[in-house]
Amino acid sequence: MFMCKDVVENIMEYIDNELDLQTLKELEKHTGDCPECMGFVNTYKRMLEITGKLKDKAFVTPEIRNRLRILLESKIKPV
Amino acid sequence: MEIGFFKKLIKVIVSEDKNYISDKSDEELVNLYTNDGEESAFDEIVSRYSDRIYGFAFRITRNTSDAEEVFQEVFLTLTKKLDTFRGESKFSSWLYRVTVNASYMYLRSQKKHESNISLENYVPYDDKGTLMGRIMDKDWSSRPDIVIYGKEALKIIDESINELPESYRTVFHLRDIDGLSNEEVADILEITVPAVKSRLHRARLFLRDKLSDYFHEWRR
Repeated sequence: MFMCKDVVENIMEYIDNELDLQTLKELEKHTGDCPECMGFVNTYKRMLEITGKLKDKAFVTPEIRNRLRILLESKIKPV
Repeated sequence: MEIGFFKKLIKVIVSEDKNYISDKSDEELVNLYTNDGEESAFDEIVSRYSDRIYGFAFRITRNTSDAEEVFQEVFLTLTKKLDTFRGESKFSSWLYRVTVNASYMYLRSQKKHESNISLENYVPYDDKGTLMGRIMDKDWSSRPDIVIYGKEALKIIDESINELPESYRTVFHLRDIDGLSNEEVADILEITVPAVKSRLHRARLFLRDKLSDYFHEWRR
């Protein structure tokens, strides 16, 4: 019998559309009957959407880039 | 002599075409730099990978000045070792591996405190395999977007990622932030795909719980 534990342990493959048809049907049936699992799946998806926003974070400032350029020039082409 | 002159002239003309470099694949850039000494090819590699290298180093070291040290170390290493790239894996995987090694070496040299959270058996269900009473009252998924994607939630997730043990944090960053495949992450870290999936799974469960705690508190 499909349990909450099975939803949790198959969530990655579910999100990535990698579940076989039988497991997919059982997971969706269980989730439809179990509000806890529905909440788990929904919040899991939301969490991935939030972490996806971190991709947009720009990291390297012009100052960091400039310090790297100076360092590389001094190491590659010593005066 | 004349042929040599024209070859040189063509190279200069072609080099001045900005698309000439930016359209090249990583592997072509490596060849241009290592075989022809084309410095603009190296500059293009720096430009292409700076954000990713610094972002990864920052995630591992959790500190901007440490991240910059690793960032510089990686590109210095490249100037010395780019010719050892054999093309056995994608250049990006090779470069990430250089960055992972530089980050770990830096951490070890600094003897930085690491997270002591154990996620090996981290699961949200009870001994009977049920979620009963664990999720529903904390279901925050239908909150308004302005709250879910707000600055505070991003700050919470950022801090929570930093709480992950190093090996989980590394996998999570490469897979869910840099968007690499399980196979690429396995190749970079020299671990199996099931090991990547296992660490990613526990990391995601931990982060989902952290967000649930935050949104649950926020509602009160």
